[in-house]
Amino acid sequence: MSWNRVAVVGAGLIKFGELFEQSYEQMASDAFSAAVDSVDAGFEPTQVEAAIVATQRGTLWGQEGIGGNTIPSAIGLSGIPCTRVENACPSGSDAFRIGAMAVASGVHDVVLVIGVEKMRDKSTEEGLLSRAASGHPIFTRGETAPVLFAPFATRHMYEFGTTREMLASVAVKNHHNGALCPYAHFQNEITVEDVLASAPVCHPLHLLDCCPQTDGAAAVLLVNAERAEQFTDKPVYVAGFGVATDHPYLHEKTSFTSLKATQMAAERAYAMAGIEPSQVDMAEVHDCFTITEILDIEDLGFVDKGKGGVATLEGETSLTGRIPINTSGGLLAKGHPIGATGVAQLTECWWQLRGEADARQVEMRNGYALQHNVGGRGSGVSVVNILTNNKS
Amino acid sequence: MTPGVQLLAVGAAAPAWRLDAAEAAKAWGRKGGKGQSAVCAPDEDVLTLAAEAANRALAVSGLETDIVDGLWWGTSRPPFAEGPSHAVLARAIGLSHSSSGALCSGSTHSGMEALLGAADAIGAGSARVALVVVSDNIVPGLGTPYEARAGAGAAAVVLVSHGGDASLGARVTRTHPFLDRYRGDGESGTRDLYDPRLFREEVFVPTLRELGEQLAALDVRAWSLPDPDGRLGGIVAKQLGTSTPASAAVYAELGDTGAAAALLGGIGALDAAGLVAIIGWGGGRATGLEINAKGPVRGAATVAHDITGGRPASYADVLRARNQLVASGETVQMAVPPESAQFVRGADEMLGLLGARCVDCGTINTPPSIHPHCTSCGSAKFVLTPLARRGTVHTYVINHTMPAPFVAPLPIAVIDLEDGARVMLQVVGDGSDITVGTEVELVLRKYAHERGVPVYGYKARAAEGAATADAEVTA
Repeated sequence: MSWNRVAVVGAGLIKFGELFEQSYEQMASDAFSAAVDSVDAGFEPTQVEAAIVATQRGTLWGQEGIGGNTIPSAIGLSGIPCTRVENACPSGSDAFRIGAMAVASGVHDVVLVIGVEKMRDKSTEEGLLSRAASGHPIFTRGETAPVLFAPFATRHMYEFGTTREMLASVAVKNHHNGALCPYAHFQNEITVEDVLASAPVCHPLHLLDCCPQTDGAAAVLLVNAERAEQFTDKPVYVAGFGVATDHPYLHEKTSFTSLKATQMAAERAYAMAGIEPSQVDMAEVHDCFTITEILDIEDLGFVDKGKGGVATLEGETSLTGRIPINTSGGLLAKGHPIGATGVAQLTECWWQLRGEADARQVEMRNGYALQHNVGGRGSGVSVVNILTNNKS
Repeated sequence: MTPGVQLLAVGAAAPAWRLDAAEAAKAWGRKGGKGQSAVCAPDEDVLTLAAEAANRALAVSGLETDIVDGLWWGTSRPPFAEGPSHAVLARAIGLSHSSSGALCSGSTHSGMEALLGAADAIGAGSARVALVVVSDNIVPGLGTPYEARAGAGAAAVVLVSHGGDASLGARVTRTHPFLDRYRGDGESGTRDLYDPRLFREEVFVPTLRELGEQLAALDVRAWSLPDPDGRLGGIVAKQLGTSTPASAAVYAELGDTGAAAALLGGIGALDAAGLVAIIGWGGGRATGLEINAKGPVRGAATVAHDITGGRPASYADVLRARNQLVASGETVQMAVPPESAQFVRGADEMLGLLGARCVDCGTINTPPSIHPHCTSCGSAKFVLTPLARRGTVHTYVINHTMPAPFVAPLPIAVIDLEDGARVMLQVVGDGSDITVGTEVELVLRKYAHERGVPVYGYKARAAEGAATADAEVTA
């Protein structure tokens, strides 16, 4: 029996990319409009009672700390309650969870969850790369984002014989899906050879093992499940969610072949939704790097530990495979505007559950879609949300 | 004669890079250039060299570091022009918070000043165990003949009031105010000699001959003589009736090691009984000292090995490491400046490499200041403990993509230490000598240089004889 107290009645996003010509506010406004326009029975913006906004790195566009209170004004709803969520890479998915709780609590009936991120208003050197100098002056020095995941690749290769070709097959698959997704940052096919031959970024990861730095925004509209049918005859429900934390630094990990936060968040979400991993029809998971997707599909219970690379190479996670993963193109091809990422993943799940994913549509046998993010300096936080088109 | 001052142990260290003199000559359109010199990699300096030499001497001495009464450090280039150079080194070596000593500087003669200062403290009874460290990392003027001669290295000796295998003997000093090699206010490069012949004939040779003749009254088995240009040392040796001074091999490997040269050139000769005479030079002063070994001194036999090797560095690499080739534009700064509270809280755990051992489950948490609760069991009861300095690589990366001031490739490894603690640290070198399972040792290195001052911490280094990594991990 799934939780199902909250329904998603609208969802949308803007085309992701290096959106130098668009302001943070413009991206937010366009994503909100896309969500409003998606509501089958029509939706007035003024029906939004409150908003939760996810923006992870306000520092990257010069408005650290105030992202939350600029949004209502930007979308023409100045005055509504609005709170910003910053929780590492799962910021968007956590904003969704908090929005769902706000509706379930009965305080609000209609809540907007919107993720917006400007990654490219600063140069890449000043942006994510500058992480190399952040944190502890000794113990995290040199830790750019790939350093947080590459050690897992090294160890996964060592323990399970995972190969660079297997890692590359993740990127090839997600670029294939991205080529079918009009919202993706990259819409081109790539080959395993392309990935292997791309420049080394952080051994053993190369350029095409890494997601790009992308601007973007996405929005979903949550309503009390009892009112869902006022807005649509194809409502999608929040079946369950889970959040978990882990120790924040890499040297505190006891395993470099799994992410404990993901495992715990998944366990909680599955329990809340009352389902097993095998009942999930498709999933949008956190593929900031190719190795991350391999860890994810193992830790989420879709394949056995150690088999993520082989399963991907053999097509089990393709659009026609046993468990399609990242049908939207994932972070690798669609992009990773951090606060928007989770919300955009949920939008893809919403489309898949409503049969609206066009060329990317996969078979939804059981009516469950799973969305996952993991992040923080040492993957110290993970969020899993599960959506369903089953009314109960 | 300094009564009752004995030499218990010695140690030496050299930096990771070697510059071929021909490389430097070629850069300036000159032919020739003989020999090589040692150069500090960007993460090395006089302090990291000093710490390595000191650790080696202390290790073979068999003494615990906390019974050392003081540190006497001689270097012409302290890492903080004004600041906690001595305190940082003392803490990094693990000396007690009540240890004393002195930082001697101002010229390359400072190495002898540190040695004699420590000897006098032992002689006067104010110290029973004194650690002497001499180190230098000469930054020469660009394009000068001295450029290919300027070297880097360190030596350390443990002096005691009794129980050593060698004793300090006669000492003689001459002063002769003269600008030979010097550095003016605000200058970074050491100026080359104004007139080599003037220096040789009026200053260097007469002074050294006079000192040497006094020392040669006894039967000197081995000499350590200053050799600023690769010829003067030989000239003086000949006048003293010796063929090749023991220091010649050190100069050939490392170049001119400045304040470290006198001691570094002589301690290797303490591997057998006999008299070793060393002469230090610089800043218008020259001092000679005799060391009388009754038998092999601990650590002496490995000196030659410990300073030999290094990897060839290009001229451009050397300029960059010496801060003489600087990228234009912004560089990324640390999240916290070197003066901040985090460095006050973290001084002991960063320089002393401390962990917090959980009293309830035994897990070692690092660093202690950010772990009020045990990561394994949640307990809040800890005892501070120095971390093991050796371990194996559990997993690693080689970061190729970083903004200035970082320089790629930068290997970073998760290391399981011998005591069970797990740490994640940068790795010395380019990563070609590590893989999963590689044995490593932890060594003090310079992590950053901000606001004109260095920031030190530990890095991992493949232990000697460790297996070499494949280019690709099980690719």
